[in-house]
Amino acid sequence: MSATQPQITPLRETWRQLMASARSRAPRLRASLIGLGISAALQGLALACLMPLFQALIPTAHHPSADWQAALPWLLLMTGLMLASMLLRWRAQGFDHRGDMVDNTHELRTELGEQLRRIPLEQVQDKRAGEVNATLLGSVDENLSYLLTIVNMMAHALITPAVVALAALYFDWRMGLILLLVFPLLIPLYRWRRPAFGRGMRMLADAQQRTSADILEYVQGLPVLRAACCAGLQAERLQASFKHLETIQTIGQQKGAKPNLILATVMEMAVLLVVFIGAWLVTQGTLDVAILAALMVIVVRFGEPLATFVLYAKVIDLIEAALGKIDAMLRIEPLPQILPAQAPQSFEVAFEGVSFSYAQAGKPTLQALDARLPACSLTALVGPSGSGKTTLTRLLMRHADPQAGRITIGGVDVRAIEPERLNALISVVFQDVYLFDDTILANIRMARPEASDAEVETAARAAHCHDFIRRLPEGYATRVGDIGGRLSGGERQRISIARAMLKDAPIVILDEPTAALDTESEVAVQGAIDALVRDRTVIVVAHRLSTIAAADQILVIDGGRVVEAGRHGELLADNGRYARMWEAQQSAKNWHAGR
Amino acid sequence: MPASAAQPVPSAWAVMQPVQGRIRFAMALSGLSAAAALGALCALAWSVHTLLQSSASWPWQPLLLAAVLTALAFVLRLTAFNRSHYAAFHLETLLRSRLSEHLAHLPLGYVQQTGSGALAKVMMEDVKALHVFVADSTPLYARAYVSPLLTFALLLWLDWRLALAATAVLGLGVAVVSLALRGSADMMRRYNEAGENVGKAVVEYVQAMPVVRTFDTGTATFCRYQRALEAYRDVVKSWYRMSGTSSRLSQIILSPLPTLVVLVWLGAWLTSRDALDAATWLAVLLAGTGMAESLLPMVSLRHLVGKTQMSIHRIHEVLAEPVLPVPAAIATKMPRDAGVRFEQVDFRYMADGPLVLRGVSFEAPPGSITALVGPSGAGKTTVARLIPRFWDVSAGSIQVGGVDVRELQPAALMQQVAFVFQDTFLFADTIANNIRLGLADATMDEVIAAARAAQAHEFIAALPLGYDTPAGERGVFLSGGQRQRITIARAILQSRPILVLDEATAFADPENEAALVAALANLMRGKTVLMVAHRLSTIRDADQILVFDQGRLVERGRHEALLAERGVYERLWSNYEQAQGWALRGAQA
Repeated sequence: MSATQPQITPLRETWRQLMASARSRAPRLRASLIGLGISAALQGLALACLMPLFQALIPTAHHPSADWQAALPWLLLMTGLMLASMLLRWRAQGFDHRGDMVDNTHELRTELGEQLRRIPLEQVQDKRAGEVNATLLGSVDENLSYLLTIVNMMAHALITPAVVALAALYFDWRMGLILLLVFPLLIPLYRWRRPAFGRGMRMLADAQQRTSADILEYVQGLPVLRAACCAGLQAERLQASFKHLETIQTIGQQKGAKPNLILATVMEMAVLLVVFIGAWLVTQGTLDVAILAALMVIVVRFGEPLATFVLYAKVIDLIEAALGKIDAMLRIEPLPQILPAQAPQSFEVAFEGVSFSYAQAGKPTLQALDARLPACSLTALVGPSGSGKTTLTRLLMRHADPQAGRITIGGVDVRAIEPERLNALISVVFQDVYLFDDTILANIRMARPEASDAEVETAARAAHCHDFIRRLPEGYATRVGDIGGRLSGGERQRISIARAMLKDAPIVILDEPTAALDTESEVAVQGAIDALVRDRTVIVVAHRLSTIAAADQILVIDGGRVVEAGRHGELLADNGRYARMWEAQQSAKNWHAGR
Repeated sequence: MPASAAQPVPSAWAVMQPVQGRIRFAMALSGLSAAAALGALCALAWSVHTLLQSSASWPWQPLLLAAVLTALAFVLRLTAFNRSHYAAFHLETLLRSRLSEHLAHLPLGYVQQTGSGALAKVMMEDVKALHVFVADSTPLYARAYVSPLLTFALLLWLDWRLALAATAVLGLGVAVVSLALRGSADMMRRYNEAGENVGKAVVEYVQAMPVVRTFDTGTATFCRYQRALEAYRDVVKSWYRMSGTSSRLSQIILSPLPTLVVLVWLGAWLTSRDALDAATWLAVLLAGTGMAESLLPMVSLRHLVGKTQMSIHRIHEVLAEPVLPVPAAIATKMPRDAGVRFEQVDFRYMADGPLVLRGVSFEAPPGSITALVGPSGAGKTTVARLIPRFWDVSAGSIQVGGVDVRELQPAALMQQVAFVFQDTFLFADTIANNIRLGLADATMDEVIAAARAAQAHEFIAALPLGYDTPAGERGVFLSGGQRQRITIARAILQSRPILVLDEATAFADPENEAALVAALANLMRGKTVLMVAHRLSTIRDADQILVFDQGRLVERGRHEALLAERGVYERLWSNYEQAQGWALRGAQA
């Protein structure tokens, strides 16, 4: 394997990814890109016409006066080639201008969006992955829309000089050879510069990320900082972070400028070198001064595209990176489906020897966990933060599959249940409620799009939110975005419970639904939850133990295992972990301010 | 952030004001570079001229000059770009510092309402967005103006007929460009708006994915996402329809080839009739073909500037937000004691908004405990936040130690009042520094004493690095209760006579709760305490309980007396009792 091998393959890979991303428009995109290449080649030929043209028109020792008759065909050919080149370019750019590129990125983004709904939820759940996806979906357009512009510039920097050099071979092989030797220098030079550029970018990205985090921290901590009298210019860490970023930026600019300087100098000097050698050949009497003059007019135009090539090559990197990410995203497989698909007839839930670790975490979150949740029973999961309670509920919803063991509903492995069916079996009420910028009605109805207005209202009544919704300016048609902050936490929570009511799934997961509410809302939310959990298999993640004292089963989870299980009374009698937690909470409850 | 139509948004150029001198210098260098490049071309033409006259000797003088001028042009251009980049980096630092300082003097309520994410985005992303304009485009602008002008002058001097021909091509190009730019300001606005909407839809779609998938596999959000995408596509397409042809045409006309062909035809014809000297013709060809080309960046620059404009607008909006008025240094008073007094306080968030507090009057004597209770939206949290001047009152006054808070220097006010907020906030610094925040000279012993009183010493000492363990988002994982105890330690160390507590509604994990409660008891000892309470059992022994409802102070007194009144408090209390007694019932229960 030669050293250049790994660099060539990615280029081919990039082309493949590019064509794959264009899908039905791939032939047109290919035609367009090839058209740009040919246009650049024709431009090279048009420029090459200057050589015979000058031979005919510039008076030298061989022919002392201009020969209009000899020049005319070359003039016409040059004009024709120029027009052909323009026409081709015009047609090739149609991919942009007729809207093909826009349609293409549009479809690509739609497809990426759909893919996001299919891939295992675990992959989109954590914040960082969310940011990456958002950036990807947001920037597809920006990156790809420069494609033609960049290819056009590359063609002018690489193809046009090459064609001129080949044509020059015919008129004077020595000059042609020099041109052929000099201009391809750009490619190794560019390759040499590229990693340096990458290093600089990473350094800068790190510094920017640090400043970004510092800024966010500053703004979030502003009340605290102001209370401590160290906000604004007194926030030394922040101001130092700004200075640090500026230093890195300045160093990056200096470092980045150096290879750039060398590269551009080499290219500009290459142009001069051609002229110098040409002039020397003329003085030796072996080169027609007309050829030199023609080449001079041609090559001074090359300096610009060649020197800027490197600057624009950055964009190629961006396009390559974007294509790579798109490809990776589209390749993620949905979780496998065990065939034949089965539908559970009853709704008891069982975890059998379930082990699970998150991709990025070192130690397993769940370790060979066993638990049985009878149908229509209420099971509470308690334990310290990070003990695996929430992971357990996520695995039941198949955000991811466990690495070992299995989870069953009504005796059927969840992997054998079709995703839509599994989804219909489970309702969730989260601690933080996500309401969409749409009407209240739509926010509730999303749980069952075919539900009638009356059904939505019934669910809202059962969830204790009909009354406050009616009091809103436009009732159920009020847009959440318009009233935004005016809905209290309890009201938002009740809307989410109405959603779950409407969905009417046999299994309900409650993830700390009353954690962040004030007393008055709490009573209403509690009433709503009572209505929701009736006759269902319920799993509740709870911190306030008093709320789950009457559960059919309490599972105390710690370190990814069930460490205690039983009813409240039994667990207290065991005098173990649960009993300690209960005592601590009881004593805290009795505390009150005053003296 | 609502757009304030009244304030004029500064132009992209005005934003550069702090680094104006440096930018001008960079632009001058860029202009000089264009001149040197042109000079190099002249030198080349001179060398051919020499060769045409006598091809015997190598024309070292013009060729050397060409080399020197080329190098000079390049160095000048590079220096120009470096200068403008340094200036742009410095501008970023200046603007960020200014924004951070400005935020330190704005009503905290504004910060809270706008959202830390949005403000951080302005400070980071919008300031960063200026870079392309300030750093990259200014030298190009200079070149785009200088280069064609100098070239035109040179051509005119060489041969007026060819000069006119080259200018005609340029003029045609400019005409087509202006055709392409017609209505582009409006189009650009629509384009940027559509782009931002796509951004918002993307964020919603991605963030809400876990929630969405448990309900409808995302159909509704997906539709919104797709609608935003379609709107964007339509805007781009209509832009292409409107100006696509002319912009495509202008790119082709302004490329070097058309100018070259025109100059070749005209020159060839003139030369063949002996009306033009070959050397002059060559000089024109060398210099003239680049005339139109240097205008090309202008078109793409306009788009960049258009994008920058939105960022400038947002930066300006934050900077234009009025700061909280601060009394002149001489006129300041010092509080007499640790009492807090509200006198007929009215408050509204916005000048035309509804009153959130009406006629609120009460007094919290030094060393007393006052509890603020009421249903959600009653205004109790607002009362707590008015004391540290998150906002200023709309009418009436708030006094600390007998002095209106608006007549106290912010530092003097902060010396009196300590706050423990619901949302505990730790900085990405060591735990020790988090505790001694703002009191840099506190000794380690004092820090440890505070941590002990806050029941935090044990778990801190158990951490691998003890008090030097980094905290915050990027630090070690601490539970909610532990974080809260660190913030309590901070308040204990600050030891200020007045304490405002916004009680946490839910203590994160049960085992921490007892420790937290003990920490709070230590913190409150001997202070004037105002606490927003949700768990009514905690305030049974408070010296006074203030009951708020719909922005009014409706009841006040001690627990037993209020219960006897059978009013709002009694209702809250029975609700509370009911909520405390609630438990999920299992099938067999």
